[in-house]
Amino acid sequence: MSEEILSILANVGLLSFLALSAYILLIGGEMSFGQQAFFGIGAYGAGLATVMGHMPLSLALVLAVLVGGVASGLLGLVTLRLRGLYFSMSTLAAAEAVRILLELFVYQVDVPANGSTGSSSQVGPAGTAGFGGIRYIFEHGIEQPVFVLLIYGLLLALLVALWAFEHLHAGLALRMAGEDPELAEALGIDVERVKLTAAVASGAIAALGGGLYAHYNTFVEPQNFDVMLGIHSLSYALIGGLGTALGPLLGVALDVALLEGSRIFHGYRMIAFGGIVALLLVVRPRGLLDEKTVRWIKAWAGRRVAAVTGLGQTPKTTKEKP
Amino acid sequence: MLLTVLDGLAMGSTYALLAIAFTLVFGVLRRINLAYGASIMIGIYVAIWVHQRWNAGPIVLLPIVIAVTVVAGVYVERLCFAPHRHRAAVTSMAASFAVWMQLEEISTLLLPRHANAFPSPFEFFSAAGTGSLVRVDHVAALGCAAAASTGMWYLLYRTRFGLAVRAMTDHREAAICTGIDVARLSALITLVASILGGFAGYLIVGIDTQVTPMFAMWATLKGMIAAMLGGIGSLPGAVAGGLLLGLIESHAQQFVGPQWRDLISFVLLFIVLWRCPAGLSAFWRRAQQTPPSGATP
Repeated sequence: MSEEILSILANVGLLSFLALSAYILLIGGEMSFGQQAFFGIGAYGAGLATVMGHMPLSLALVLAVLVGGVASGLLGLVTLRLRGLYFSMSTLAAAEAVRILLELFVYQVDVPANGSTGSSSQVGPAGTAGFGGIRYIFEHGIEQPVFVLLIYGLLLALLVALWAFEHLHAGLALRMAGEDPELAEALGIDVERVKLTAAVASGAIAALGGGLYAHYNTFVEPQNFDVMLGIHSLSYALIGGLGTALGPLLGVALDVALLEGSRIFHGYRMIAFGGIVALLLVVRPRGLLDEKTVRWIKAWAGRRVAAVTGLGQTPKTTKEKP
Repeated sequence: MLLTVLDGLAMGSTYALLAIAFTLVFGVLRRINLAYGASIMIGIYVAIWVHQRWNAGPIVLLPIVIAVTVVAGVYVERLCFAPHRHRAAVTSMAASFAVWMQLEEISTLLLPRHANAFPSPFEFFSAAGTGSLVRVDHVAALGCAAAASTGMWYLLYRTRFGLAVRAMTDHREAAICTGIDVARLSALITLVASILGGFAGYLIVGIDTQVTPMFAMWATLKGMIAAMLGGIGSLPGAVAGGLLLGLIESHAQQFVGPQWRDLISFVLLFIVLWRCPAGLSAFWRRAQQTPPSGATP
């Protein structure tokens, strides 16, 4: 596999975490402009853990997930009380504040002289100059393809978890809270708690992606986590569709793999991407894989399975929807 | 000290123009146009391109900036707002983000250099004011912005169009019931916001004398922050929010540096949204709503 394809695959995988974190809040009816902050917190947290704390990668990622989840939960306590645009703007303000704090964050330690170079150097976050030398995967002999496999393994685990979540009471409650908070409240759903749980989960997912991102790239800088990244991840979720967790992945794949990866639109990528997305949203306002399409695919797949296995008629629950 | 105040007011007055546009569009459409900064940017880029090609003077560039901004603004409205009028606001916002990316790339294809010089319309004044401490271009920009704000005030408080806009902002459903043509008003407000944006953009690059591709995000963010600080939907709030943001930035810039300046404005925005979402407009809203003494039955 060539280097280039590998890096595209890695980017698709890493951005998927961020898109999924935006997706969870979107199905809860909230549009966050600030998920990139948790991606950044995860990147810095995991980087600090392996470089300064000499922790194993697994522990560092767990730490990143915890920090991201807690930070997102705390922010959610304040921001989720706000509605609509006010929520979006407050997450934007918080995320930009986090980015600038990372720019002001300087904490460096001396690394003992390396055998070959003979001179000591410094590592650690250096403000705007970024945080380099996150060399865990090189120091531990992890090959790049193996690391990409790790990214996709974790992504798969996450998708399974999300699939299970959406079939649980909590997942349905979140969708209801997103579609009609008053009705959900009337049906006995604690909307505030459901949304707060979603916020914690979305922060944790973004931080996990960030931790992996830092170790894949070995270098991160605060500018990586600006508003652009956040709005991109939102768009991925919206283009791909809000009907299933596969939607955001489709959105990322469309942008990164199809437009950036292929040379067709070289130099005009954003003109093509922007135009396609804007037109797409006119025809499909809730993305390619929206709820209706997902139900239709499920019903069709159900009939196919029934036809092949000969297990009689599938229950036609899908048609009963008012 | 006084100079810092003046600098702040000059920048703040341009923020105020951007904030008025955001507040107007939000009031009528209940939507945020993320592509707003990008439409202004493409106006400025086309003007610079014309300047580089035919050496057009700064006065000729003003109508060019405004005309291109209007074209871009109408394009955004047709593609991102008109089709989604009866749908979730989220969709419009995502679509306008997509168009932002498009306009930004067209601009950078037009002028690939990172920073592009803009012929300052205030050059004449600057030359006249050499030696004095006050930056004459700032005073001139402040004057222009004040004139534009007064024009907006007249348009909104003294015309039927302004009445319709304010009615839509105050109570959307009731206004629609009185027979306001929503589609027409949406198109008109896009036009007004674009003209205002083009003018504000012209003043901003006139002060900065150069423009970079960061302009699109910068202008959108400053306009949104100023509008939110003032309380979105409120016109006096937009002006007050813009001036306040300008003053805070110029003082923070001088005393603690550019990074802390940005940090302070974002933290302030966060606190305002958290504790007092109506922003500065809460002050006079409260004053208005106090019933006159003795009026209660």
